[in-house]
Amino acid sequence: MIICNKAFTVQADVGCDFWKRRTVFLAVFRLFVLASVWMSLFCSHRVLCGAEAELDAAERAAIASAVERVVPSVVRIETIGGLEHVGQMALGTGATTGLIVDPDGYIISSAFNFINKPSSILVRLADGSRKPATLVATDHARMLVLLKIETSKALPVCEIVPSSEMRIGQWAIAVGRTFDGVQPNMTVGILSAVGRIWGKAIQTDAVVSPNNYGGPLIDIRGHVLGVIVPLSPEATDEVAGYEWYDSGIGFAIPADHIQKILPRLKKGENLEPGILGIGIKGPNLYTGEPVIAACPPRAPAFAAGVRSGDRVVEVDGRKIRRAVEIREEIGRCYAGDTMHLVLERDKKTVVADIELAAKLDPYQQGFLGILPMRDNVGEGVVVRYVYPESPAAKAGIVPGDVLVALDEKPISDRFDLRESLVGCEAGESIALEFRHGDVAHSAKIALASLPEGLPPAELPAAHGKAPAKGKRASLAVGAMPFKIAEYSNDAWIYVPRSCQEGIAPGILMELHGPNGFDWQELLAVWKPICDRFDLILIAPKANDTAQWMPHELGLIDRLLADVMEKYSADPTRVVLFGQDSGGAMAFAAASHNRDAIRGVAAVDAMPMNPLGENEPLNRLAIYSANAKKSRIAASIDAAIAAMRAVKIPVTVKPLGEIPRAMNSEELMELARWIDMLDQI
Amino acid sequence: MRGDTGTRIFRSTVIAIAFIAAWMTTAFAHAASIQETIQQVQPKMVKIYGAGGLRGLEAYQTGFLISPEGHVLTIFSHVLDSDSITAVLADGRKFEAKLLGADPHLEIAVLKIEAADLPYFDLSQAAKPAVGERILAFSNVFGVAMGDEPVSVQRGTISVATRLEARLGAFETTYRGQVYVLDVTTNNSGAAGGALVTRRGELLGMLGKELRNATNNTWLNYAIPIPMLLRSVEEIRAGKFVAQRDTETVRKPDRPLNLSMLGISLVPDILERTPPYVDHVRPGSPAEKNGIQPDDLVLLLGDRLVQSCKGLIADLEVIDENDEVKLTLLRGQDLVEVTLRRDTKETPTTTPRQP
Repeated sequence: MIICNKAFTVQADVGCDFWKRRTVFLAVFRLFVLASVWMSLFCSHRVLCGAEAELDAAERAAIASAVERVVPSVVRIETIGGLEHVGQMALGTGATTGLIVDPDGYIISSAFNFINKPSSILVRLADGSRKPATLVATDHARMLVLLKIETSKALPVCEIVPSSEMRIGQWAIAVGRTFDGVQPNMTVGILSAVGRIWGKAIQTDAVVSPNNYGGPLIDIRGHVLGVIVPLSPEATDEVAGYEWYDSGIGFAIPADHIQKILPRLKKGENLEPGILGIGIKGPNLYTGEPVIAACPPRAPAFAAGVRSGDRVVEVDGRKIRRAVEIREEIGRCYAGDTMHLVLERDKKTVVADIELAAKLDPYQQGFLGILPMRDNVGEGVVVRYVYPESPAAKAGIVPGDVLVALDEKPISDRFDLRESLVGCEAGESIALEFRHGDVAHSAKIALASLPEGLPPAELPAAHGKAPAKGKRASLAVGAMPFKIAEYSNDAWIYVPRSCQEGIAPGILMELHGPNGFDWQELLAVWKPICDRFDLILIAPKANDTAQWMPHELGLIDRLLADVMEKYSADPTRVVLFGQDSGGAMAFAAASHNRDAIRGVAAVDAMPMNPLGENEPLNRLAIYSANAKKSRIAASIDAAIAAMRAVKIPVTVKPLGEIPRAMNSEELMELARWIDMLDQI
Repeated sequence: MRGDTGTRIFRSTVIAIAFIAAWMTTAFAHAASIQETIQQVQPKMVKIYGAGGLRGLEAYQTGFLISPEGHVLTIFSHVLDSDSITAVLADGRKFEAKLLGADPHLEIAVLKIEAADLPYFDLSQAAKPAVGERILAFSNVFGVAMGDEPVSVQRGTISVATRLEARLGAFETTYRGQVYVLDVTTNNSGAAGGALVTRRGELLGMLGKELRNATNNTWLNYAIPIPMLLRSVEEIRAGKFVAQRDTETVRKPDRPLNLSMLGISLVPDILERTPPYVDHVRPGSPAEKNGIQPDDLVLLLGDRLVQSCKGLIADLEVIDENDEVKLTLLRGQDLVEVTLRRDTKETPTTTPRQP
């Protein structure tokens, strides 16, 4: 107790002093609390605001100093002369931006800035001096150009940010020099993504437009992340991506990539996107298995030993799980680069080193060398005719044989066989099973290319006596006018009687020349031919007899579609025929409607615009009949060469010296050519 | 020991209070945050409704108060082309506005509403932006704000303070002068007449009409700096407005210079943009005396880039026949500068002036 008491006393003693002080302390404490309350009531958010305002000032200063660091390397580019339009887009004449990337006077800019193909380029440096520039090289995969100016002093070059150090969400400032040129223009945002556009670009939400294409995208320290270019994931034309200007989706090519390709560009080497030449299985690139569905012999991958059916395991060291990853890896490379592929085939590993190509040879349809019978009797395709020297002939196939299976899959009819062969190009091999009488054969056949020779003098009949599909007695046959409601044009058709017997007719549309035509005369020439070869003749009249107008392409489409539907025409034998301007219109219509038109027969005529390469599903064949002294003979020859270059087969029929119309014997031969268009 | 502790607490408390007070003072001294700025600016904004509807034109635009007694600065447009202009304040009050006057050249107008003690922007206190200035733009873009709803606020950065290029046709506006180009899509329907302020709430400029940059086919987002408008606004308010003469627009002289006076003929103008190559130099002409040669490419006339034959001919039309011109030529890969003028002693190519 005593101890306790003593202890208490001592404590009380001390406590007294303590309490005195505590009063003071409390007073102070109360003051503090009051002050705090007052502060929190009146100005706590002001305190916060102060911090925000300081942040704002710091931001502004940071942006200004970052821009300041790159400004000496950002140049203004002015161009003289050039085009006013590219496609539908009107081109501006305004100044654009470039970035100095080498002290010796090399400047990187966006290819978009040069699509008008200017005759001269001027570069205005940060100090205001102007220098003429030459275009050294273009990177067509990333839409960059390299310019060169002469300089006596070393030009300032910026520091760059390596791709590995980029962080999504970091500051990104786009700098251009397109307004008065004295001050740079800037837009501010963040780095939105890396590895965009098949691994080629970084993305920002700083607004980009022609005002800063070609300028640098920099970080907050003033180091260069990339060079701004318009890009689009799907389109590859030179203005692709422009439609996204000022949208918050902008792209730049990473600076370290530009450093990597700079030596090649400096040498004047134009860089092209690389092509491997493979097709991937399945409709969805993102979920699809990395299995190669097609690899034609013209593909660089084929030459390196890649075959369809292979599974891609690894590309350039990257493990591949989805089809899209292959495309990304191709996106990173250029034509001329070598890609290292590890593949799996029959549970074995196959390795291929493939040099990417800039361009693939055009698709070339494979050809077996037969004509099928058109009356389908049960399974398979009955051979009507075998082309001499064709792969079919070499395999011992003769007329009357029945083709029963292709690559171990049964063939149901001629359309099925034709479709199955779509993916098989000239040079590829197929396994064909066929029956000769009661004897089954099988053969491995290397396909040839589509034939271009004139037809033989005589062809066996395309169908037997018994019609395939039963009679259609109600169909209107004979000669009659045929009108399309929306068009004021007159048109006539002649339908052979065989249509009523269920025989699918071909279609021949004659497009008249500048002198028009007389239906009765035309009919007199064509009727026997149409009857013999099961052809419907259609003859429309241009509104202005002297010339066909582009809007009349629609009339041709409609006539073909209506007649094809009404008479269940054979889609493999739809041909337009015309002389001079009529022939030119036939080419225009074929180019416009590749879906329906399978052949063009032209007399002394050529396409006004080059035809695109032959399409697997929409084959086109050309019959070109020409006189040596045709006004445009030389151009026709060039056009034929151009069509053959894109693997469209052209059959040439010489018509002697002086331009003239084809006689009835020649028309009969043309009809046999049409009759052979269902060739397989 | 404990006494010491108490003193220490006392001392540190005093220090803490002093420190917090100091901090507070700094906070007060500093400008406001974005939220505060917005609170402070919104009451000064005015939604303006008037004529429109025809040809799909919108019938609304934006303005802001520039005096406590109800002067409103806005853009001069078809919207004001009406007997009845309505101004709606931030608190929803609706006023019939009177058009005090307009400067059709600067495309600005001042309206007056009958009210008092309104919050307003003092135009004479307008700020000048720093490089990289972060901004807020206030406008009734697309007319989304109605009644007492606040107008829309957008944030961005000033891309550059520049001049609209005076070249004819580059920008489809009569305004030629300084603009602040912005990196945010501010200039849409109804936004014209809106206010551009710093993040601290200082007025910088007025949002302009929608404007296409014909030199690169992009839409321009911009504001006109307040100092450019100050004089006209004062004169309109003083009731003595005379539309400002444009000192910067190019006026064509009565007798302009042409290439033949200098002795230059260009290559035939056959392309869309034929580069202005010199085809022929007349012997004895100023061009020959100054060493201009065939195949020189004319790059600059004065400091102006020449992009085609047509462009050079058009640019010469604004130069008087007796003025000196500086041409910059590209010869091979060299730039050559030549200053020349018409030789009056040479056979005149135009009829002499009547006395």
